[in-house]
Amino acid sequence: MFFTMFIKELKDSFRDRRTLLLTVVLPLIMMSALVFYYESLISDSSDSETINLAVNVNMDSQLKELFSSNNFNVIESSNPESLLKDGEVQAGVMSESQFVEKINSHKQPSITVMLRDEFSQDSSVSTIVMSALQQYKQSIVNERLLNANLEREMINPFQIEQTEISETNAGMALLGTLIPLILVLAIGIGAGPSAADLFAGEKEKKTMEALLMTPVNRFTIIMSKWLTISAIGSISGVVTLIVVALEIQFMTEHLKDALSNTANIGLIVVIITAITIIYAMFVASILMVTSIMAKTIKESQSYSTPIMMLAIFPVMVLTSVGVNELEFHHFAIPMFNIFSSLKELLLGTIDWEHIVITLGSNIIAILIIFGVGRMMFLKDKWVMN
Amino acid sequence: MIEVTDLTKKFQDKKTYITALKHVSFSVESGEVVGLLGENGAGKTTLLRAIATLVQPTEGVIRVANYDTLKNPNEIKKKIGVLFGGETGLYNRLTARENLEYFGALYNLSQHETKVRIDELSRMFGMRDYLDRKVEGFSKGMRQKLAIARTIIHQPDIILFDEPTTGLDITAANVFRQLVHQLKQQGKTIIFSSHIMEEVQMLCDSVAMIHKGELIYHGSIETLYEEEKSEDLNYIFMSNLVRGS
Repeated sequence: MFFTMFIKELKDSFRDRRTLLLTVVLPLIMMSALVFYYESLISDSSDSETINLAVNVNMDSQLKELFSSNNFNVIESSNPESLLKDGEVQAGVMSESQFVEKINSHKQPSITVMLRDEFSQDSSVSTIVMSALQQYKQSIVNERLLNANLEREMINPFQIEQTEISETNAGMALLGTLIPLILVLAIGIGAGPSAADLFAGEKEKKTMEALLMTPVNRFTIIMSKWLTISAIGSISGVVTLIVVALEIQFMTEHLKDALSNTANIGLIVVIITAITIIYAMFVASILMVTSIMAKTIKESQSYSTPIMMLAIFPVMVLTSVGVNELEFHHFAIPMFNIFSSLKELLLGTIDWEHIVITLGSNIIAILIIFGVGRMMFLKDKWVMN
Repeated sequence: MIEVTDLTKKFQDKKTYITALKHVSFSVESGEVVGLLGENGAGKTTLLRAIATLVQPTEGVIRVANYDTLKNPNEIKKKIGVLFGGETGLYNRLTARENLEYFGALYNLSQHETKVRIDELSRMFGMRDYLDRKVEGFSKGMRQKLAIARTIIHQPDIILFDEPTTGLDITAANVFRQLVHQLKQQGKTIIFSSHIMEEVQMLCDSVAMIHKGELIYHGSIETLYEEEKSEDLNYIFMSNLVRGS
């Protein structure tokens, strides 16, 4: 009986074009957009670029030589500012006339660096231009110290060396944020319409009364419906993971490299799939309760939408938390733990204690929420309009 | 066949209780067709739901086919078919056949039994041409036939209809009346609530009138005509409401 009901619910749900669209097509579009966005982010930060730099016509040739490296394409102009405003160059440098001569006579001439706006890619342009000028400045200071028979150490008492000891791969760190975010959205969006339809929708169409009039007990009814919502949520999640994997493998370069450098990738995929399915069951339990509470599909959606919005809230908190800073509560709180676990797993760390806490806390939450739903479903008030 | 004894049903609304039915008692014999009359909110649907085991009595006892609704609801569900509204309780994305197969399975019919019943019902209701079409494209009349077929797929002895012709056009309403007539000839016990007096006069052996949760009359239509010295059921109903207020 249970199997008959489950198969019928699945058939009925997948004949709804909304379910099909939200379960398969939407994750496909969302994932594609985000994978390519993240790929371009990594490309931008790793690829060396040539900066179009406008300089004033009367700039000293010695100063112009500073920008003659591969990083710059120097364009002389009587009005560098207008070239910058027109977007023909990414930065402009204007120096006083006889700049080098003034330096040599210790007159402290000024130089102006112009950028378009601080929120664009010009922040990296600024770093490159300022770095070239700093190097030039340092060379002059060194020369002056040498002429005064002073050692460089007089004004530079110690050296700072910065070493990255983290093995974190930038690409995988981005995936660690991207994949759980999309998974959470895909599962919520995929399972939502079915959840609303299977309880509130059946009350609205009065099929619930027809169902309750059959000799099937209410536990079998609620169980088959919950499993249907869970299955649809899981399908959304797994489709999302497959789409991500295929797109990274065949359509990206940097993310593919990041993924292929991760150890135990096969085991990690299996664990992520298990966490995805358990999370889909957890979401199904919440959506089931909101649907039982509602009398119509519309009312059910107005209850479930804020909860699904809340589900993406952990990403904001966990973005600033490093993988080695994750603590017990990050894995023990359902909704948080999918983000924490996937962040850890995608950086190549398999911590069985964290995985067990994640799965265990979700299962406990599922049992409690399902229990609440079952109690409600036994009461006439919640099953009949 | 159906015995309702001193039935009271109260619903809790926040801190207050609303009494939907007050000490209702009546019985229905096997093969009898009873029309349930009353205004909106009089308690007709609650009474039908209580008989169908969908709501539990606050006080009193209901016995259907010698089973207590509280003690043996599943035994009663096997013997009863219920249709709330004229064309409801159908899954729009399934075909007519899939709807009937699904409810056949829920009533524990074997695949063979279900197939035989679908053949019988589709012949009886003239549904063969659209048996394999999805319900979402059906007219009201087609839906209504299918809803009734779904209600009686398991050959129940007792059938309850709650305002079956409300919202239906004349043709669809006439189809329903013909079908009830057929079921009556098959010896089924039927209770249906209605606002349409002509329908009750045409189909019922007896009537039960409910006003503000109380049963104000139950008996045969002929006795009612004699007592009220009128054969205008609409007039009799209104007179009883005035007396009951």
